[in-house]
Amino acid sequence: MREFKILEIKQGVFDDNNKQADGLREDLKKRGTFLLNLMSSPGSGKTTTLVKTIRALKETVKIGVMEADIDSDVDAVTIGQEDVKVIQLHTGGMCHLDAEMTRQGLHGLGMDDLDLVILENVGNLVCPAEFDTGSSKNAMILSVPEGDDKPLKYPLMFSIVDVLLINKIDVLPYFDFDVDACIERAKKCNPNIKVILCSARNGEGIEEFADWIKTEVATWKKEQ
Amino acid sequence: MHEIGVLFEIVKTVESFAKENQVEEIETLILQIGELSSMVPHYMETLYEGAVEGSVLEGSSLQIEIIKANARCRDCGKVFPLVENKGICTNCGGEHVELLSGKEFYIKEIVCY
Repeated sequence: MREFKILEIKQGVFDDNNKQADGLREDLKKRGTFLLNLMSSPGSGKTTTLVKTIRALKETVKIGVMEADIDSDVDAVTIGQEDVKVIQLHTGGMCHLDAEMTRQGLHGLGMDDLDLVILENVGNLVCPAEFDTGSSKNAMILSVPEGDDKPLKYPLMFSIVDVLLINKIDVLPYFDFDVDACIERAKKCNPNIKVILCSARNGEGIEEFADWIKTEVATWKKEQ
Repeated sequence: MHEIGVLFEIVKTVESFAKENQVEEIETLILQIGELSSMVPHYMETLYEGAVEGSVLEGSSLQIEIIKANARCRDCGKVFPLVENKGICTNCGGEHVELLSGKEFYIKEIVCY
């Protein structure tokens, strides 16, 4: 029989990624570039919300966008029409982006002159919640047709985001979506969560989101 | 398929550990998963062989140790298993509990040559 040995590793599975994420956050702080990680399920209106938010911000803030998807470049093409710096990242089948992939993306994008980089993460409410990308702040979109029970089903996601956008509120009359119940459930996961009701379609609430970003970017730079 | 991305992360960690410790062949990888972790052991087992292909873990087997979710009652101090009691204290029936364990997710050790 061959001799074998047991080597103890005793390391949390996410430790490596967390370390890389902290390192990236530090680098971004030194540069004064704010990274916003935007997450949601597919079809919640991330790209449309992003387009409207960019329009509200681009006069005052220099913006770059990273579009992460498993495949295709449709989102990058859409965002590219807004005259901001954009890069499409392919995760190669992976359902999320980790800190190393985010760093590579930022390198590819080039962020020397940018105040704000928005990362549109892969549409998914599970994995992106577990992998810290190194972002300064996290935001998520939940759209009305998805249902007000989502904080109950994906508590981790709701617990790690700083802002929750409840999108597509223009269709509230047609859905059994209880806004108050949804907010209460989200706050149970995360008492500090900021909730913004919006409709990317008619522009409602976008200004509030843009103002929040402006304030956060300014704070990030001040702490530099 | 949440577990596959996580398995890739584990492969990365073990590969760098193996390199540092001059390990060339691994027989078994032992993970510890808390009862309340979002990982489903069954999926991890099913996906394992494919996820480790081409890495130092290729050909190794996976062993999973489940860590019980235990809680302490904030009212009476009793420590009890959380899941089978649905979060209700077995002593006083209280529902204010402090979680002691169950969310862990560790790469515990490897058996290697």
